[in-house]
Amino acid sequence: MEERNPILSIKNLVVNYGAIQALKGASLDVYPGEIVAVIGANGAGKSTMMNAIMGVVKRACGEVFLDGEPLAEKSYQVVKAGVSLAPEGRNVFAPLTVMENLQMGAFPLSNRKVIATELEKVFTLFPRLKERTSQYAGTLSGGEQQMLAIGRAMMAKPRVLLLDEPSLGLAPIIINEIFAELTEINQLFGIAMLVVEQNARKALMLSNRAYVLQTGNIILEGKSSELLHNPEIEAAYLCGKKK
Amino acid sequence: MDIIQQIINGLSIGSVYALIAVGYSLVYSVLLFSNFAHGGFLVIGGYICYFALRSGGMNIWVASFAALIGAGVSAVLVERFAYRPIRERTPVTLYMLIASMGMSIVIENIFVVTIGGRFRALPPVIPMEPVNVFGLATTSAFDLLSLATAVVFLIGLQLFLVKTKWGLAIRAASYNLKTAGLMGVNVNRLIAIVFFVAGLLAAVGGIFLSARYTLYPQLGSMITTKAFVAAVLGGLGSLPGAVIGSLILGLAEMLTAGFISSQFRDLVVFGILIITLIMRPTGLFGKSVGEKV
Repeated sequence: MEERNPILSIKNLVVNYGAIQALKGASLDVYPGEIVAVIGANGAGKSTMMNAIMGVVKRACGEVFLDGEPLAEKSYQVVKAGVSLAPEGRNVFAPLTVMENLQMGAFPLSNRKVIATELEKVFTLFPRLKERTSQYAGTLSGGEQQMLAIGRAMMAKPRVLLLDEPSLGLAPIIINEIFAELTEINQLFGIAMLVVEQNARKALMLSNRAYVLQTGNIILEGKSSELLHNPEIEAAYLCGKKK
Repeated sequence: MDIIQQIINGLSIGSVYALIAVGYSLVYSVLLFSNFAHGGFLVIGGYICYFALRSGGMNIWVASFAALIGAGVSAVLVERFAYRPIRERTPVTLYMLIASMGMSIVIENIFVVTIGGRFRALPPVIPMEPVNVFGLATTSAFDLLSLATAVVFLIGLQLFLVKTKWGLAIRAASYNLKTAGLMGVNVNRLIAIVFFVAGLLAAVGGIFLSARYTLYPQLGSMITTKAFVAAVLGGLGSLPGAVIGSLILGLAEMLTAGFISSQFRDLVVFGILIITLIMRPTGLFGKSVGEKV
């Protein structure tokens, strides 16, 4: 029963920035339908991992597989293959409207019916975006921009959705809302997710499994519910925030 | 009414500058460097048109079509061989700026070496006869024609940017190229399209400029400077800004030439640049910094 094959698999991924090794051979697996979190401090290499999967930074060593097939190295091929990213800091296209942002997300798709279906899905999840289709993305609140970034990534009809710091810079109440919507996306559409987060507690509560990344190495992995009560993790990443 | 005539002349030359400045600004908005080889594209277009008319015996429509395509393709090749290798190695755009200065010299000298540096006049294929404008002023058919052509091409560009999928991608890329790449856009193809469009528009301007004045290899660098001034005046990277800046520049040139002296023309042009940089460095439509998320 546990013999499923991972949908996304990273093996010994190494990324160098000049002489600095940002990722030192990290491996992880994401199985179909699950949410996997990568937690770690600032500078641990979390965003680098995302960028390496997406082909934004060069993979010096190691491989990435999507459904057992080697994943392409160029960003546009990665998206086409079925992996899309809601980037750190949201990076919505501020001078474009909400609708245009979502259309950009659907860039790899050409079938209009499919695009319309995806758009309907996004609007069901984020009714607030539907109210603001003709508004410029730059005028949205931070939370709405994050919703747009997630919706935009979903428009490409991904098989794996990557989320880079979805809680960054948002008020706690908005973070709760966003994370509830992520759970909904996962349950409604069965999209597998890989989330990297500094907010370890939230990430562990959201995910099924988690990896701990420290200065470029995966030092721990396990079920999120167990990591949440792991004394080491509590001391290093959840200190004092116990509710 | 002499002033109306000068204004029509000014708008006419300004609209031709706009074709060049818009392409230049488009490249700037996506790649964030000043492409000083941009004027080279208009010279390439001008020469293709010239030889198609003179030696090829083609009519003006075929010759212009060849010029537009030829200049567009040249622009794509310049990007492919001079800029792409740089942008794939470093995010520092200064190197592309330096490469573009080099390419400007290369293009100029290819013409000097192969066909010589002499001034050439396009055959009189564009009508020049005087036209009476609503009894208010007399101007030449050429001025009205170049104004109308420029407007048609600028509207065409706008429709391309607003109505098509790649147009949308270009607008997104001009805000954030990296994020556009994350949306599944093949960034190299997008940049090739941008350069093709920029080269094509420059060729339209090149044909009208070489019919109005004369064609010579160094025409490009002179016009690049004007497109640069117009783009800075309007706000670097802003397309409406480039158009407005070009019209202001054309008007300033023609009014200076008409009412003061044509020798003061370039003085006024650079005066405008300096005043803009002192008073409003971001230009009329420049992106104000502060959109940072």
